[in-house]
Amino acid sequence: MNDRTENLLLALPGILLLGLAFFLPIAQMLLLSISGPEGFTLAHFVRFLSDPYYLNILWRTVRLSVLITVICALIGFPLAYIMTKVGPKLRLGLVVIVILPLMTSVVVRTFGWMVLLSRSGIVPELLRDTGLVGRTFALMQTEAAIVIGMVQVLLPFMTLSILGVLTRIDGKLEEAARTMGCSFLQTIRTVVLPLALPGIVAGSLLCFTLSASSFVTPNLLGGTRIQVLAASIYKSVTATPDWPFAAAQAVILFVGILLVLVPYIKLTGAKHG
Amino acid sequence: MKAILGTTALSLSVLLGTTAFAQDTTFTINSFGGAYETAHRACIITPFEEETGVSVNVVTAYSADAFAQLRAQKDAPQFDVIHFSGGQEIVGAAEGLLAPIDAASLANAADLYDFAKANLARGEGPAYSIAAIGMIYNTDAVSPAPTQWTDLLNPEYSEHLVLTDISNGYGMLGFLMLNQSQGGDLNNIQPGLDAVAKLLEAGALIVSTSPEIQQEFAQNDAWIAPYASDYAFTLRKAGLPSGFAQGAEGTPASFITTNVVAGRPNTDLALKFVDMSISPEAQECFAEALRYSPTNSKAELSAEVAADVAYGEEGVAGLIRFDPAVIEANRAAWVEEWNKTIAR
Repeated sequence: MNDRTENLLLALPGILLLGLAFFLPIAQMLLLSISGPEGFTLAHFVRFLSDPYYLNILWRTVRLSVLITVICALIGFPLAYIMTKVGPKLRLGLVVIVILPLMTSVVVRTFGWMVLLSRSGIVPELLRDTGLVGRTFALMQTEAAIVIGMVQVLLPFMTLSILGVLTRIDGKLEEAARTMGCSFLQTIRTVVLPLALPGIVAGSLLCFTLSASSFVTPNLLGGTRIQVLAASIYKSVTATPDWPFAAAQAVILFVGILLVLVPYIKLTGAKHG
Repeated sequence: MKAILGTTALSLSVLLGTTAFAQDTTFTINSFGGAYETAHRACIITPFEEETGVSVNVVTAYSADAFAQLRAQKDAPQFDVIHFSGGQEIVGAAEGLLAPIDAASLANAADLYDFAKANLARGEGPAYSIAAIGMIYNTDAVSPAPTQWTDLLNPEYSEHLVLTDISNGYGMLGFLMLNQSQGGDLNNIQPGLDAVAKLLEAGALIVSTSPEIQQEFAQNDAWIAPYASDYAFTLRKAGLPSGFAQGAEGTPASFITTNVVAGRPNTDLALKFVDMSISPEAQECFAEALRYSPTNSKAELSAEVAADVAYGEEGVAGLIRFDPAVIEANRAAWVEEWNKTIAR
């Protein structure tokens, strides 16, 4: 047995799994999305793309995903930076705190937010008592609730991606920048941030794709009235039930994510690859 | 998951069925699982077993699953008696899957309200209990009690009103009734959609499952919700002050029917089972346990139970049955319109 066949044999289980569990269902979904009562049809796509209701769902999905990604980056970068500067003990503590949410089920975490954000929950109650908001103020079933819940879920992915890159940056570079007359913020802007970009990009990709395709958190925190694409697909599968249309929506989500990712990777990959 | 459970249970029942077939005493029915199945056993199945000495094989399958199985087994049916809550018996009878019933062969048939035995001869089995859709309300907050469906539009309630998504069966019936009270019908749901849009504008909330209704009543100051009578009882058992009111315009009902499957050898036993299901004792037991409305005019309920269900000639007079076939035909279109109406 030569190296080649050996390698192939080793890779075989993985390839089989990928083929059976990923490519086959994707191919089936593609087929389903263009199948109509009389064979091939693009009607499902036309229906989606010509209806303002569905376009609005698509736009909300993209808009919220971008917003969630940006907020994660804004919190994640300073957090990761601080983690590189503190002592090893404190750093470990911070890492554990960041990872901790990943160790509970997404449903449990989301229910926690439901308790906090509901009409008589702590957060709206506090805001009402302090007179900051009116009597009818609610956080549950709003886009804000989705963003809050998703940021908590996705922050570890962003922070850890950035942390990995930041720890490899030579501390002397920052010292050099400071001795050359840069202020702290200038050092961050001209030295740390550009070097950390690959980490920020990797984290952003993770956050964006995960939030665009997430279903549980938006559904529970946003309710039935604020639909995102994943929830709309679920409804088409179970409530209507219209599987070809659900498949078409899934393909649109898939292609939409690809369209965002490819230029993003190309752009940053060319600079820092 | 339910379907898988159902299928597994069914294949098991097939295995058991073939081994026990020689004695011809295995008797297969479906029930709906959970608290329902517990009550079903206590009120009907166990008494039936004791009386006839037959062991009943219960397959857990919801109406749609059970109907799919019935259809698939057209040539070799495995169920003796099959129960539906979504109007599947109408289609089943039309397709010849269910056996016609001679009312004279059921001792209790004479006592049933007319609507519960309308099409026995066609094969549509009798309704043995009814989930009545009305208004569940917080008895502390809503006073006086609501009396008609248009009370849902009372601006004072708007912020405390909970509607149920029409992907839920009871949600669908409640919505169709609201639609009717606004001048719509099964050919035109626009008045209902307009009313829902207005209610949402005024602060009403939409949930998609029954546990969420309980959560809203328990934690979020919900006062009133159109839903099934048995759920008011569920809320009360959870310690929430809640009552059930029927709207004067009518009470949409989900009929739970018990049907004799065609082409099975145990027809006499099946008829016996159906007869026991529609007996006053069985129905009193069901009403006591779950607050489903009886269909037998001889069923006698205590005042406490009666308050939670559609009871007596007067109570059942207002029952409305929206044509299940029409609902099924329009479901996809209605769900989409509904989604568009409630979307923010």
